[in-house]
Amino acid sequence: MTIAETHLIETLDVPNAEVQEGRDSLNIGTKAQPQAYAGNRVAPGDLSLLSLAALAACGGGGGSETPLAAAVAAPTGAVPVPTAAPIPVTATPPTVQTPVPPPSPLPAPSPPPAPAPTPAPAPAPSVGLSAATNEQAARFLQQAQFSSTEGEISSLRSGTYDAWLQKQFALPVGQTGWDWLQQRGYGVNDRNQYFFNLALADFMVWNQLLTGADQMRKRTALALSEFFVASLQSAEFDWRSQAYAAWWDMLMRNAFGNFRQLLQDVTLNPAMGFYLNTRGNEKEDPASGRVPDENYAREVMQLFSIGLVQLNLDGTEKLGPNGQKLDAYTQSDVTNLARVFTGYDFDRSVGTFIPRKSDDSGFEPYNLLNIEFTRRPMVLNASKHSNLAATFLGTTIAANVPGATALNTALDTLFNHPNTAPFFCKQMVQRLVTSNPSPAYVSRVAAKFVNNGQGVRGDMKAVWSAILLDSEARALQAPTTLGFGKLREPIVRFVQWGRSFGFNSASGGWKMFETTSASEKLGQSPLRSPSVFNFFRPGFVPPGTALAASKATAPEFQLVNESSVGGYLNYMQQVIEIGLFVAAPAGAPNPFTGPYVQDITANFAPEVAIAPDAAALVARLNLVLCAGRLSAANATLMVNALNATPVTAASSNDQKLNRVRAAVLMVLACAEYLIQK
Amino acid sequence: MYLIKPQDHTRRAFLRRSAQLAFTGAALPTAINLAAMGEAAAFNATDYKALVCVFLNGGNDNWNTVVPYDNTSYDQYSRVRGGGSGRTAGGVALGQASLANTLLTTRPESPLPGGRQFALHPSMTGLKGLFNLGKAAIQLNVGPLVVPVTKTQYEGVNRALYPIPPKLFSHNDQQSVWQSSSPEGSTIGWGGNIGDLALSSNGTGALFTCMSVTGNAVFLSGDNALAYQISTGGAVKINSITNNVFGSSAVKDAMLSLVQQTRSEPLENEYNRVTQRSIAAEGNVNSGIGPTAEAARLNTGTFAPFANLTQGNQLAAQLKMVARLIAARTSLSTKRQVFFVSLGGFDLHDNLLAGHTTNMTRVSEAMTAFYQTTANLNIANEVTAFTASDFGRTLTSNGDGSDHGWGNHHFVVGGAVKGAAFYGAPPPISVADGSAAEDQWHVGQGRLLPSASVDQYAATLASWFGVAPTELEGILPNLRNFGLPNAVDYPINLGFL
Repeated sequence: MTIAETHLIETLDVPNAEVQEGRDSLNIGTKAQPQAYAGNRVAPGDLSLLSLAALAACGGGGGSETPLAAAVAAPTGAVPVPTAAPIPVTATPPTVQTPVPPPSPLPAPSPPPAPAPTPAPAPAPSVGLSAATNEQAARFLQQAQFSSTEGEISSLRSGTYDAWLQKQFALPVGQTGWDWLQQRGYGVNDRNQYFFNLALADFMVWNQLLTGADQMRKRTALALSEFFVASLQSAEFDWRSQAYAAWWDMLMRNAFGNFRQLLQDVTLNPAMGFYLNTRGNEKEDPASGRVPDENYAREVMQLFSIGLVQLNLDGTEKLGPNGQKLDAYTQSDVTNLARVFTGYDFDRSVGTFIPRKSDDSGFEPYNLLNIEFTRRPMVLNASKHSNLAATFLGTTIAANVPGATALNTALDTLFNHPNTAPFFCKQMVQRLVTSNPSPAYVSRVAAKFVNNGQGVRGDMKAVWSAILLDSEARALQAPTTLGFGKLREPIVRFVQWGRSFGFNSASGGWKMFETTSASEKLGQSPLRSPSVFNFFRPGFVPPGTALAASKATAPEFQLVNESSVGGYLNYMQQVIEIGLFVAAPAGAPNPFTGPYVQDITANFAPEVAIAPDAAALVARLNLVLCAGRLSAANATLMVNALNATPVTAASSNDQKLNRVRAAVLMVLACAEYLIQK
Repeated sequence: MYLIKPQDHTRRAFLRRSAQLAFTGAALPTAINLAAMGEAAAFNATDYKALVCVFLNGGNDNWNTVVPYDNTSYDQYSRVRGGGSGRTAGGVALGQASLANTLLTTRPESPLPGGRQFALHPSMTGLKGLFNLGKAAIQLNVGPLVVPVTKTQYEGVNRALYPIPPKLFSHNDQQSVWQSSSPEGSTIGWGGNIGDLALSSNGTGALFTCMSVTGNAVFLSGDNALAYQISTGGAVKINSITNNVFGSSAVKDAMLSLVQQTRSEPLENEYNRVTQRSIAAEGNVNSGIGPTAEAARLNTGTFAPFANLTQGNQLAAQLKMVARLIAARTSLSTKRQVFFVSLGGFDLHDNLLAGHTTNMTRVSEAMTAFYQTTANLNIANEVTAFTASDFGRTLTSNGDGSDHGWGNHHFVVGGAVKGAAFYGAPPPISVADGSAAEDQWHVGQGRLLPSASVDQYAATLASWFGVAPTELEGILPNLRNFGLPNAVDYPINLGFL
């Protein structure tokens, strides 16, 4: 097999596009200076990048109809903790599901919706609960993080769910993305022009997601990156990969912190500042007619805090006397709040430029702002800050209040708004557990946002615990409840797969490029949302489906189409077989010239060891990938297909490996895997 | 099976929709109206027609796209946008001299009132040429409306009498309103509803009635019509159901079963339904647009207009795929098609002049090449492309960009278009909030108050496509509020086709 045959070379679809384009006129100067638009790297044939058109719904808009899987009864009592739970490889037979009914022209619509119940008194969270089976443990792990390897299952079963959470909360943050880029040598200004190379941020985030013990923090940071969206796709400034590393590090740092601090760090982050135009935003100028930029003011309300319509604590919409929805804010609120976000710019206090290396002869000199600005909050220039009074959401900031004070007041107002808890919490439930949480579930989580039990508002740890320990998440019947759960999003599938099978960069360079192309890769790539509205909307309802008939949301389905279903299968088949070939895997100096080396690969050794027993192999994959949800019928289908090519202990390693590869691909293709319940 | 059965798109299908309504209890006026009309709602076409929606994601800046050019209007525009002295560029204003080459010339019988003149953005030479040749028209100041409203009514409190569209100025919601008449959670768009009516015309090609080359879009989802999504590279062939998998034909067969099996779990079933469609259509699509079928077209230079465009023009890549699909209409068995393509990057709060130049170049090049290709295919008179966008933008500057607005100007391009003409009244240029007549056309900072509704715009396109007058209201729920006998300013048909 030659490299050319594999189509797996990790390379730029448009070679060196971001290195070459836009270089000359790029600057990180004041807002008024023009910048060349450097084209995003869009693979030919890509479908998903521009797919924000069907932004069907805005956050928080679940309506008052009862979700598909509402009100699941609490589990009956805690299950005793087995001591030193062994993890037998073939221990558990696949869950038997009800037989599949014959095909009908249209799937039956769900029962008519019932009125939303008022939030019930919260049942006690399952604090004392532990996983009674390996399948339950795997299911919890797949909600709380990416993978559920046998070691991770064993570790979880040594205590309660809550004890496991406390352990994750206490884990230190591993190496930051920013430090990793520096360590790889990407912080120098030389002819390789790392300061304008977007792919470095891809390497950084794949390395972050696929390695390290702080896996729950990474899973939740990824969820936060889909709520507070800034995107590499339109980052056009020097040191942009470093800025996005700092953006990721900021989400990681705050993932187990407090929402108020998170909101502030998001607001003043330089990557976000560039993305939503707070950087360089200036006060009004009556002479020229200039008014403050409204972009951040609008989106911080619509997407990052309160949403468009007034909400109850359970996430349902408040209705006016005529049954109408009530706007959460008006255009006047936006125009006034925009004044608060004027006067900010990158922190240039480090000041010195990084000159090109003196020994780099033959390369056009180019001086750069010190890389430090990428990890410092933006700073306020009082002379460019609006001193007008600002009235929004019932709060008034008087004229001439200092900018820092005004920002605090504005962010406090958003943080304390009654919408913020349900608006944020419902979306986090959707990311981790189920697309259609019951209002009662949302209200229980939101209540923990409002007060963690010790009088603290916005405690993120309390939110994650409430989501993962809730009776609706842990209900034993949830895995078989129709409509409960969600489609695993492609990034999460890939990272789960990678962590389950030791997908690793031998060189440590992790030169894995973005996976945005829907027809050729995953149709989704971390930190590369096509717009501030994320890859998918929280209220997305797939048109023309049984889900639409019952008004059930299925956000991740916004990425599912006739191209992406095949692109995913083809891409996974390739990486399962040979992983990724990368150029000069050891990293700097130049990551884009050969020779190409098979550097990032999976390790199926544990699976190869049991390959002769097809049933054992499928059972293992069922546990690790599906938390035991594979039906007996499909497990049998897979086992029979594998047994059609005999493999014995005496077979060659390649024969065993091919069986493992086939088994993994079949599980990844199966709807019972794709839908996480 | 999953596939749309053409024979179902008659009374039975409508009855099924009614049954769905009984379950959901939700208001779906579209389906109700269609159901009442029964079989009459479908039309049987023997010729070919296509509508192509070109969506500009992010809210295109109308002020720098269709630019006031006559001295009086230009000076008003330049004053607000910070233009330089001597009518030079400045702030976010384009210089008047730079617009001379893209000045639009209307047909003698369709002059603009008051000596008004417009030029296109300087980079839009292609569209300027099509306009002046009579192959393109501009609909002025169109946007979502529930009923006709004046500024006073907009600012008033009587929402019962003068309702306004929900969630104005919000990107995702206004995209949805443009495409489907309602915001969040909407699942039925007017492109899809038009497709519903055309399904029976397409016979075995029904699956290809509504096609998106740019991912998911509510615009193309009908009651029965599905939005088939294709990439700019064609349909994706799934390797593991086509070739032996790691040497095993049994695994290939198992894959074929696994990815298509019907499931009782609704989320699982929906995923597999998409895969079923993907597999069923892939062969048809790729044979219709494959190398063999296209060899002749390529040899005769049919697609030559798409060669040598500015690099990275994703809109051109999408429209080229639309042209290829239109060229393959016989093998795909399609008579009526609705397409959706899009381009992003229009939300230019910052860097308006540079970013907009990139965008306008792409739009103009792509739409011009598309028109020329349809001319090469001798189908130009049967294909109408039109633009849409979240909203227009403010006339005021925020330093180097503009903010979210409402009404916008849009292009309609094709051989059937009554081109070289503007439709609708040119709005006065003002950002003042006084009582003067010229202040009544915007709702603050020069955000245009639409003087034509999306429903009228859509009705004009749908009527050309073959939708009967009696069927329009079922597709466009607010249309009944327009075109009243005494409301001459709001005609059902805007006249550009």
